[in-house]
Amino acid sequence: MKGETMTTTDAPTASDEMESLAAQLRMPYTLTPGWATGIFLAELGRHRLIGSRHGDTISVPAQDFSGTSGEPTEGLVEVAPVGALQGFTTTADGTLGLVLIDGTDIPMIHRLLDFDSETLQIGARVEAVWSDKPVGSMLDLAGFALASSSESFSPRAVPGDLLPPVLQVDYSMTLDYQHAYGPYYGTLFNAVKYDRRLRGVTCTKCARVLLPPRAMCDVCFAPTSQWVDIDAVGTVQASSIVHIEFIGQRMKPPYVYSEIVLDGTSTRLIHMIGDVDAEDAKTAATPGARVRAVWSDRRTGSLTDIDYFKLIP
Amino acid sequence: MSIAIVGTGQTVHARRRTDVSQAGLAREAVIEALADAGLTMDDIDSVIVASGPAMFGAVNQPEKWLVDALGARYKPLVRVTSGGGTGLAGALAAINQINGGSARRVLVVAYDKLSEGALQASISTLYDPFWGREFAVGIMGFAAAYWHARIEKLGHTEEAAALVAVKNRRQAMANPKAHVRREVTVDEVMASRPLCWPIKLLDVPPISDGACAVIFAAGGDAEAITDRPAWIHGMTYYSEADNGADRSMLQSEPLQIAAAKVYKQAGITNPFRQFDVAEVQEPYTCFELSYYEGLGLCPEGGAAELIESGETAMGGSLPVNPSGGCMGANPIGATALIRLAEAAMQVTGKAGDHQVVGAERALVQAGGGWANLRGVAAVGAEKR
Ligand SMILES: [Zn+2]
Repeated sequence: MKGETMTTTDAPTASDEMESLAAQLRMPYTLTPGWATGIFLAELGRHRLIGSRHGDTISVPAQDFSGTSGEPTEGLVEVAPVGALQGFTTTADGTLGLVLIDGTDIPMIHRLLDFDSETLQIGARVEAVWSDKPVGSMLDLAGFALASSSESFSPRAVPGDLLPPVLQVDYSMTLDYQHAYGPYYGTLFNAVKYDRRLRGVTCTKCARVLLPPRAMCDVCFAPTSQWVDIDAVGTVQASSIVHIEFIGQRMKPPYVYSEIVLDGTSTRLIHMIGDVDAEDAKTAATPGARVRAVWSDRRTGSLTDIDYFKLIP
Repeated sequence: MSIAIVGTGQTVHARRRTDVSQAGLAREAVIEALADAGLTMDDIDSVIVASGPAMFGAVNQPEKWLVDALGARYKPLVRVTSGGGTGLAGALAAINQINGGSARRVLVVAYDKLSEGALQASISTLYDPFWGREFAVGIMGFAAAYWHARIEKLGHTEEAAALVAVKNRRQAMANPKAHVRREVTVDEVMASRPLCWPIKLLDVPPISDGACAVIFAAGGDAEAITDRPAWIHGMTYYSEADNGADRSMLQSEPLQIAAAKVYKQAGITNPFRQFDVAEVQEPYTCFELSYYEGLGLCPEGGAAELIESGETAMGGSLPVNPSGGCMGANPIGATALIRLAEAAMQVTGKAGDHQVVGAERALVQAGGGWANLRGVAAVGAEKR
């Protein structure tokens, strides 16, 4: 191993290419609106707005519980799909308004459609615009537009043919992140990307080599000071054989999940052991087994620049 | 200061509760806890919401949503989250509020509605995005890997872990709140489909929607509220550097530290003999074996022998998880608080068909990660 001296006050700088790691999380959901809101959502498809009664207060969308007391709603009411604009804001993606539906006490937020933002005024009378293709979501009510008449309405008893509640709303989130490498990961992954080598740091007190590199030793809480090149060869500390399939998985099971201590280091590198039969892996890819990295053709500046680790016979 | 649990409540846990929203689920447990204590929300000084990562249910700051359904408007309210041990972290926050003098009666409600999101993918985000997340299999790949190491080094065999599944699933039969009530045999566990070998399907608890609520009160209030308080004899929660140098992960140091501290607080010198019952949070069967050692119920490497002895089953000298533990229901954010609630039920004689007769002192363990975050508590019938 060769080393070069570095002080922690003089932090390493990452090259321009290594500022951040792009990562995306995609998560599907099946959300549960509950009884009252479930009926509200179901009835949107029939162009009805359903609210809930809580003492003297009427909420729309309908809620299971009073926001004041937490008590269950005393019952549902139908409200007319008209109201007054209480506030609005315009963004690059359109205008959002707070609409107080006639006879209700809490404004609902929704899209304002087909408005001339120059003439838009608080207090304007608005009416619902319905989606042509209801799917059981809030957007079955496409939004609100200026009302054609100034007539106002009072809540009334719900019709006898209420639909059962929507039990599940499908939803997804796609979240994009730019994780800053910072000086330590930057130096490590620069070396991974361009030189195909790993780099750790040495603790000034216990002299252990830490990978990934960091400013302080987690055990001694002493600063680290010296970079050390590390061969991508090591010993399996723990391994399991993955058969389960799940969302976001990178490779098709079965494969071997592994925590590897590279020679000369005192910490764990998380990766996979490849090129081994799943059944053979139970005995071959076991704690204590020796492994070596198989580098990829990709150069991404991440651990995926190593395709997998291969057992050393 | 003496502090006691004066009321507990749990939902009807299920694989998927389509009849309630997340807020409605939490409320259900609170209503039951208030009824158990004979209190109303007016009597509650402070509320702690404990739930898992926001990514589980796609609602960030869910406590804002819960306030309405709980009737908690205008009360002090904070959310606590700490992985698998979230429920116990919430309980510790309540105790600290009472000890600190800012509240006398604190409601903790813990929940997760796991049917709504992608569990393993969500849990994988607990990995450092630079270091291993690409290869993470939730907590399962990791846990299986270190169980594999324990099999080799500590003799925590697949058969020994299967005995945990057999025991806890049998005990869940007597728990009306458990939603998985089906007995299994060692052979069935061993033959079940591998998910992350050595973890197999029947080593794994259900994925649940559920909530638990516990009401804590300062000494005098507790005695005024109920003639059977469950006194907190000790509680703590520790963490460890995940990728600190030279961690073998064969034992959980945070668990050992937490246990030592709680035993000192509770005056326990021989946990195996002095506790009458234990409730531990076992995300997979192999965890319960490691807890036996980490909690000092047996020597290192002695867990397989202890489960084989039957002493940790109902009727044994220290029944572990009379409720069935996670094998009966596992709404992760609530699970740790359920362990504490079950312990309180045991020492107050309220555990019904899964009551350990005469239980006076209960041990509670909870935590998240394979070895990282660990909480321990001791609960007793005697004021302390
Ligand atoms: Zn050190």
